[in-house]
Amino acid sequence: MDMNARRALQVWLALVVLTLLTWAVGRAGLGGAPVIAGILLSVAVKGQMVADVFMGLRGVRSPWRWMVSGWLLVVLVLIGLAFFTGET
Amino acid sequence: MERIASHPAAGQNKALPGDFAIWIFIYAELLVFGIFFLAYAYTRAQHVALFNEYQQHLDRESGAINTLVLITSSYFVVMAVNAVRRGAARRCGQWLVLAIGSGGVFVVVKLAEFAARHAEGVTLSTNTFYMFYLSLTFFHFMHVLMGMVILSVVAVKAYQGAYNALEHTGVETGASYWHMVDLVWIVLFPLVYVLH
Amino acid sequence: MKYQSQAVAKPYFIAAIGLFVGQILFGLVMGLQYVMGDFLFPEIPFNVARMVHTNLLIVWLLFGFMGAAYFLVPEETERELHSPLLAKVLFWVFLVAGALTILGYLLVPYARLAELTMNDLLPTMGREFLEQPTITKIGIVVVALGFLYNIGVTILAGRKTVVSMVLLTGLVGLAVFFLFSFYNPDNLVNDKFYWWWVVHLWVEGVWELILASILAFVLIKVTGVDREVIEKWMYVIIAMALISGIIGTGHHYYWIGAPEYWQWWGSIFSALEPIPFFMMTVFAFNMVNRRRREHPNKAAVLWALGTAVMAFLGAGVWGFLHTLAPVNYYTHGSQITAAHGHMAFYGAYVMIVLTIISYAMPILRGQEAADPRAQVLEMWSFWLMTVSMVFITLFLTGAGVLQVWLQRFTDDPQPFMVVQEKIAVFYWLREAAGGVFLIGLILYVAAFFVKGGERVMASNAVADTA
Repeated sequence: MDMNARRALQVWLALVVLTLLTWAVGRAGLGGAPVIAGILLSVAVKGQMVADVFMGLRGVRSPWRWMVSGWLLVVLVLIGLAFFTGET
Repeated sequence: MERIASHPAAGQNKALPGDFAIWIFIYAELLVFGIFFLAYAYTRAQHVALFNEYQQHLDRESGAINTLVLITSSYFVVMAVNAVRRGAARRCGQWLVLAIGSGGVFVVVKLAEFAARHAEGVTLSTNTFYMFYLSLTFFHFMHVLMGMVILSVVAVKAYQGAYNALEHTGVETGASYWHMVDLVWIVLFPLVYVLH
Repeated sequence: MKYQSQAVAKPYFIAAIGLFVGQILFGLVMGLQYVMGDFLFPEIPFNVARMVHTNLLIVWLLFGFMGAAYFLVPEETERELHSPLLAKVLFWVFLVAGALTILGYLLVPYARLAELTMNDLLPTMGREFLEQPTITKIGIVVVALGFLYNIGVTILAGRKTVVSMVLLTGLVGLAVFFLFSFYNPDNLVNDKFYWWWVVHLWVEGVWELILASILAFVLIKVTGVDREVIEKWMYVIIAMALISGIIGTGHHYYWIGAPEYWQWWGSIFSALEPIPFFMMTVFAFNMVNRRRREHPNKAAVLWALGTAVMAFLGAGVWGFLHTLAPVNYYTHGSQITAAHGHMAFYGAYVMIVLTIISYAMPILRGQEAADPRAQVLEMWSFWLMTVSMVFITLFLTGAGVLQVWLQRFTDDPQPFMVVQEKIAVFYWLREAAGGVFLIGLILYVAAFFVKGGERVMASNAVADTA
């Protein structure tokens, strides 16, 4: 198996684990600020892995890569803010 | 602008995979979904109790299964691109068929979920939470269908021998779009089904 | 002129320009009536002037689109038009029907016109922009069918290019959506739905296909850039324009009795409508910068670039200003709408028709490009009309903002007529800008009559202006 294929498989595995974790959190009915922050962080990690390895954006010249990373960051941070303002 | 697409992929300055035009599309799609996600989050902030209550009624398992299905499908597409870069066009086609099949599983699971909501009498006008849930998931659903159409065209062309190790922009173009559909769902699933 | 049958486009273009002049004159009459309510009363009341102003616009743009199709379809399909005779016959049918309708508006009261044309058999009159008597509407459908048959057969028999296929799709869509104007439900909500399905799906849907294909055609001709490159960008722009435009219809459903979710769908999707227009601007400049030839028709290039910029500003930016539901709650039906309407129609559709006329007319008259002195005059008219339209838009926007502020977005709303008094200064300024627009239009017409002069000197003049 060449390097690309191995890395893709590693990313797939990581994505599956993080997804199952998210699902378990939902099933356990956990909520609140720390849980929200944790899940959003895991989404950021998942999204960046998809962008870098699946989409192949790692090493792509700017601004094309950071436009996806920036999208993830802005959307997730703003979602987080909305949830925290809603929580209190 | 065209030079960006034909730029040789090299080192830290490689070009975007696939046709540049699809990336314009992808960025625009991300923008729409981003706005939709934020609209959900900020509307929720004003109706926290309502959103928390009706989120409990969603089928979290089918959402999680669909996440796994899409992730796996994306992996198959990566392998398809990998294959065609080696010149294995037929193998590329086989991976694409697997990816399209996974897309089909997503569609079936999603339709079952919609049918269940429909049977409960849930519509866009039931309440604000369901309005967002149905709008977001249905809009994404249409993208899955669109992505499957694109991948099917690419798969047929791969079997016909239209791609090789040197020329496979079409495969990368379709792959990029499909990963976008996956990426969006990766945000959508926790946001709508889990976070509260 | 590569194909003899392209010549049928010429009368269409001439009629378009003639009706354009009429539209502007009635616009000036109406602009004055905003501040001098009894001007020309009772001969031309405000409602009649408005109807003539808007109907003439639609009719002359249709003449322009048909002329554009007759001109570019033979060249794209690489064959003569199926029936030049049919095109000539339909031209006269359409012109006479259009003229009679306008005369009907002007000479008899609207209710009497409805009686005379037996509107009660199939009532379709009385809706904004679709005021035409039923018999005229039927005439429009007949002309459209004959026209579509003519270019459809030509396209299907000849070389099929993306440009001609997109144009045909747009024109078929134009005809199909017009059919909604024949259904006039009693229920006011339904009535509004069907009305928007003509009005919105025309200007924010299928007309954009016509616009894109004409622009692509002219850019291919004047830049010499590969057809494949231009076609690919056309696909992306059109796909985005259609998705955002069709779902964006929801921005008309906010306050007409449709379900609440349309406020979300309409806001989000119509907020994206500027993107394809922005892409069109980038695309047009990109193609011109990468041109492989210097086309002698500088005026046509200027019109093409102007279309891309003004369509983005008028349709894109000014549309976005009041498209979000919470904003539209206050601005709905104010002078902001009028500002957007003026710049969007001018920037997108008036300018694209003037672009194709600018490109095609010299060819139809046996030259590759107009005499440089004529081009200088035409470019002057471009700047006068475009800049004055920018000012019309800005003045109406000022009027609209003040109107919303005094009459709606306030704890102490003032009555409509009191507010109209206070914003009258903007109406005067708008009328002045309209006068400049008319001067620009007169120069535009005059440019067609400039005789050839000293070639060398004049081409320097073109280079200076361009």
